[in-house]
Amino acid sequence: METLDIKLPQMALLYGLCLLPWLLLWLIGLRLSRDIGIGILRMSIQLALVGIYLKALFDLNNPWLNGLWILVMLLVADLSILRRAGLKARYFVLATFVAIAFSIVLSTAYLVVLVIQPPHFYDARYIVPLAGMILGNCLQGNVIALERFYSALRKNENEYTTFLMLGASRWEAVRPYFREAIKAAINPTIAGMATMGLVSLPGMMTGQILGGSEPWLAVKYQIAIMICIFTSSTVASIINLKLSLTIAFNAFDVLREEVIKKP
Amino acid sequence: MLPIIRFDQVSVTTHEKTILSDISFALFVGEKAVLCGKSGSGKSSVLRTLLGLHPLKSGMVYFQEQPLTPESVQFIRSCTAYIGQEPILGAENVREALLLPFQFKAHRDHRPTQAQLLEVLQRLQLPEDILNRDSSRISGGEKQRIALARGLLLGKKLYLLDEVTSALDAESKRVVFDVFSDPQLTVLSVAHDPEWLERCGIVYELEAGRLTQVRRNGNS
Repeated sequence: METLDIKLPQMALLYGLCLLPWLLLWLIGLRLSRDIGIGILRMSIQLALVGIYLKALFDLNNPWLNGLWILVMLLVADLSILRRAGLKARYFVLATFVAIAFSIVLSTAYLVVLVIQPPHFYDARYIVPLAGMILGNCLQGNVIALERFYSALRKNENEYTTFLMLGASRWEAVRPYFREAIKAAINPTIAGMATMGLVSLPGMMTGQILGGSEPWLAVKYQIAIMICIFTSSTVASIINLKLSLTIAFNAFDVLREEVIKKP
Repeated sequence: MLPIIRFDQVSVTTHEKTILSDISFALFVGEKAVLCGKSGSGKSSVLRTLLGLHPLKSGMVYFQEQPLTPESVQFIRSCTAYIGQEPILGAENVREALLLPFQFKAHRDHRPTQAQLLEVLQRLQLPEDILNRDSSRISGGEKQRIALARGLLLGKKLYLLDEVTSALDAESKRVVFDVFSDPQLTVLSVAHDPEWLERCGIVYELEAGRLTQVRRNGNS
């Protein structure tokens, strides 16, 4: 079963639907025309570019090109995590890269090579969207882990110092904040799994069903992706935070102020 | 006899501001010393520098004649009790707060018995039932005595006291004085309290990060 194409005139018709919210917003006195226009335009251009790129990627289906695409995604995610967590990339770029690259490669390879087993493990149709989805969720988890940990440490500086003075090693002194940060990072994924299918239909499953898959097949893929997201978020956050501990402190276990971005 | 603490021409800067400049002094076992001066004169920074919390710009700090280095800092911290104006108990209730340091590897094998806990409470004139009291229901003065009890349980010999007397009533102050009359215990403190100053053998006057005067009271 093929998914029905949306032809150009229908596409124009689709954009026409935006006139309704635009009109309503205008009527209640919200002048958002500019923002709405920019939003829709950006979405369209960005997705068109991705479409062109993915089309080429799928047609060529070259293992090196697929690998390069994943590498680019990892680098963009790396910088985005550090920017949003308020840490200076100069210090943490390598640690974060190692953490996310390891966990993404591990969980994507596990899923593709051992579970799905396509004829070519590097098949762009599988590894590009799956790695992308796992990475997107992993990114959220890592931002929360780093941001929570370093803000808790700065907020509780006196408590942390007290632990050190009472004979704690650096690891023993940061452990309470470390655990809280990891918990905050993985809680949304655990809660998401617990309510999956009840509150809304997950995006990937919906996409597969629209693409013509059997619901059963879509369900199995959704479970697969959730397990990989959970695994990679947890592994990446723990490795990332652990590696950052070796960078963010001086030899006397004091947090180096220069590694944190000034708000 | 060798000094327990020695500052040798120590200068410290943080955020490009000089907080200590060219500080030299030595303190021997059993001595009780007090740092005084206006706020911002660097009194607390002396205590924090000894604990490795401020990087040295020049000079050297020695503890039992060993230089302060990343390798020696944990040993120095394990021998030293730092008690501030509002000590952090770091646990839900007082019993857990007293036992907190014994969760760490450095002290895991020296967990005190119930009898030792009660003995130290009595020494600081804290009631037995305080053990089960919630940390949020402990006053500032009690927190300081609990922090002191924790130091005694850990067998610490050097006490860095930062404005401890300000939260204590006359009775608690006397208890604290009694504890420190032990000739084994060395004290380096920050205080304004005249009674405390009188009790301390050595008074260091600080001004804008410099040591301007050293007075020795008759009894030292």
